[in-house]
Amino acid sequence: MRVTRRQFIKRGAGMVTVGMVIPKLLLSDARAEQIEFTPHRKLVVIQLAGGNDGFNTVVSYTDSRYYSLRPTLALRETELRTADGASTIISNQFGLHPAMAEIKHLYDAGRVAVVLGVGYPNPNLSHFLSMDIWHTADANGAGSRGWLGKYADLALIGQPNLTAASIGSLDLPKSLGADRFVVPNIINFSLYNFLADPNYPGDYNNQLNTFNFAASRTMSAGSFIGAVNSTAFESVRGAQQVQRSVSAYKSSVSYPANNPLATGLQMVAQLMATVPEASLLYVQLGGFDNHSNQIGDKQGDRSNTRVGDHATLLKWFSEAIKLFHDDLTEHGLADEVLMLQWSEFGRRPGENASFGTDHGTAAPIFLIGNPVRGGLYGEQPSLAPTELDPAGNVKFRVDFREAYATILDQWLGADSKAVLGAQYSNVGFLG
Amino acid sequence: MASITYDEGAHLLRRMGFGGSPVEIDEVTLLGREGAVDQLINYEQIDNRAMDDLLRNSFDFSDPVDSPRFNRGELQRWWFTRMTYTRRPFEEKMTLFWHNHFATSASKTGDLFIYNQNLMLRSHALDQFDNLLLRVAQDPAMLLWLDGVTNVRGKPNENFARELQELFTMGITDVITGEQNYTEEDVKEIARAFTGWKFFHPRFDPNPYSYQFIMVEPEHDNTIKTIYDGTPWARTGNLSGEDVIVTVSARRATARYLVKKLFEFFVYPLDGSAADKATIEKFADVYMNRNHSIKELIRAIFTSDEFFSDRARFALVKSPVEIIVGAIRMLGARYNPGTSAREGASNNTLAAISIFLGQELFNPPDVSGWKLNLGWINTSTLLNRFTYADLLVVDRPRDLNAPGLWLSHEQLRSFAKKNSKKTVKRLLSTLGPLDVGGEMIGALRAYLERDDQGNAAGFALDDLTVDKKVRGLIHLIMCLSEFQLN
Repeated sequence: MRVTRRQFIKRGAGMVTVGMVIPKLLLSDARAEQIEFTPHRKLVVIQLAGGNDGFNTVVSYTDSRYYSLRPTLALRETELRTADGASTIISNQFGLHPAMAEIKHLYDAGRVAVVLGVGYPNPNLSHFLSMDIWHTADANGAGSRGWLGKYADLALIGQPNLTAASIGSLDLPKSLGADRFVVPNIINFSLYNFLADPNYPGDYNNQLNTFNFAASRTMSAGSFIGAVNSTAFESVRGAQQVQRSVSAYKSSVSYPANNPLATGLQMVAQLMATVPEASLLYVQLGGFDNHSNQIGDKQGDRSNTRVGDHATLLKWFSEAIKLFHDDLTEHGLADEVLMLQWSEFGRRPGENASFGTDHGTAAPIFLIGNPVRGGLYGEQPSLAPTELDPAGNVKFRVDFREAYATILDQWLGADSKAVLGAQYSNVGFLG
Repeated sequence: MASITYDEGAHLLRRMGFGGSPVEIDEVTLLGREGAVDQLINYEQIDNRAMDDLLRNSFDFSDPVDSPRFNRGELQRWWFTRMTYTRRPFEEKMTLFWHNHFATSASKTGDLFIYNQNLMLRSHALDQFDNLLLRVAQDPAMLLWLDGVTNVRGKPNENFARELQELFTMGITDVITGEQNYTEEDVKEIARAFTGWKFFHPRFDPNPYSYQFIMVEPEHDNTIKTIYDGTPWARTGNLSGEDVIVTVSARRATARYLVKKLFEFFVYPLDGSAADKATIEKFADVYMNRNHSIKELIRAIFTSDEFFSDRARFALVKSPVEIIVGAIRMLGARYNPGTSAREGASNNTLAAISIFLGQELFNPPDVSGWKLNLGWINTSTLLNRFTYADLLVVDRPRDLNAPGLWLSHEQLRSFAKKNSKKTVKRLLSTLGPLDVGGEMIGALRAYLERDDQGNAAGFALDDLTVDKKVRGLIHLIMCLSEFQLN
């Protein structure tokens, strides 16, 4: 596999890149309801896909029900310690998973807001529907536009430089689905290029101009071919800019190669450090659907609840956030970046027989960065038997759209009602 | 038996396979609608020995523990080789449909079980749906993938029970009525019906691939279950997994859902209009009346007026596999997969590229499969499609017997015509036929005629033009938005 990937990349290295004339943009119709673009207020969304287990992320270590529902998975108070022995307890009720040493450190510095009990009415236990609900901010997950795509349609159209991108993943998350704005999706920078035959470098401009002629044609709006064509145009335009910019990035922060989220966040840092307008970035980390083997080492020993699939993922999350935050600080960007972490649902408080947990409902979300007012928000859902629904799941306390509204109103300077379609109260983690 | 047009033949081969060469398209047009579809779906009658020989010479799967010869990359190379060389394209296309429908990833199951699953899906691709679904439910890869092996009495695991209903059969809500098809209670009850389902390798069986399904009695919940309570499909009793499969397969909601999935994979995306609902019902009737036969449903769909309608033409976005294999088959490019016999002697370009286009075979993103149509398209995956086109045209190997992917000079020469207009039209036809309009044809002609300074210099049918401009033209046509559609 690597061989061809290298070939793919090597083909890029030998390429003569020639400046291109950017054909006129087809954007004139879109200015009516614009809101102001705020390049110094950047948002990085971190999606933990699969349904993160909130009860083992923020541990209610004084709740006896937590321990009775999870005889093997529960983390004891004495286990809320990092590998170095530092406590991860954040209040007289809650502690962070012991794998989250770096997040605990940032929490102590006032850089982390934890909103407890985040969900929505009539919770859906399907990954796909629940993700769509979060992506679209629509109660039924309907439509192809995401909440950030709607924001992009209002704020980002007409900006000549790259303002938004999904990073490190093969697919563009629906949160970034827009009507008119094409959000770039960048898997990695070296592949993000328009290549032609290296045997005839003199023909490159002819190739590029013919391509641009094709991608500038007017195609019927709303059709597949129209969407493909506008994406084609944006892809080559953005590729030229990325190839010009990102190589200027230098940093003393070293991101470990075995942490996929760190790889993605390094690319985010690289873009932010070299393209001043890059302000809406999105990364994903998958693997949170821990129906089984949530705890336990590779030999199948389940006695240590602090190791296992979930611990590894939270470690990646925590470590990547710290390195990214350090990198932003080094580039003087830390005051400009707000991070939002979410997952499509939490997991059921009661464990299953596979050392895992099934699909749940509400869970905490994290907001991280210098702009955040750190601390605990929301309320932990009750685990009392009478408070659980027939599937054994908890009731949500904070609607996720309240968190979105807070970000839109108090950070991005957008009217949250215009984006979300309804008024939601603000949570208080900003301002 | 009325023949079909060249464009209809090309459409049929693109959808039921990966696109045809001009000769292959001419052959199917003569057979007429029913004849052509019959030939494509009765694929077991087609001589495929050339591909079988190639596979035998190119792969060594004799020992699944021999990881240099048997691994995920090799499995991907194997499937791409099949798709590129098979004379039974619909067999591979339908297997791909089921791989997407019952999306299972080797990342959790391991390579041996995903390989077995692929063979199973291929041999039951046109079976009765109940039979296929039972095979899938008892398939080791699926039992691992959706945690069936840890679904035991007293502590059921809901993973398979949920996806069985949500993704494999009916969907959360009825495609036509919008009514909820099942409740959370049904998920729990059905999970209990499948408790104790496991697999094992028979102790003295020398074949390392032969695994068998077994229901482990002590782990199976032998108590009363009630499913679909208060509906016409309600059943109660000591239900087994088999009972559930029979019940679900017989529900009209399943027929409708399967028709919708088949349409959106093979014909065109459906909207919620009355006309489209009638279309779904028409084909759902075929499923219900023909004993849930996938083959009869498929025959009805591909011979239908809907399939041959204008609406269906280029109504889908090509998947990465369709882009990759399609270009090779349409152009008659050469892909030599090499052999696993010695180090560095194989070529896995196609599988590697497919990953960067967003479709890693045997590793779908999740149990809902790949997101089709515009789900394939974003700025990265499109740039990677363009890079694939570039890769296909720029390799000029010295050794024509070496592993690799290329277009030979002779092949390129056959595309080049005496003037730029004919050359452009020939390649637009071969790679489609694509209707791109007069202006675009003009721009492609201008490309052929332009020198390195961008001046019009004319078109001469010489070796340099063929090597430079005809290769460049293929690259540009494969970058057109029209080429991304199917």
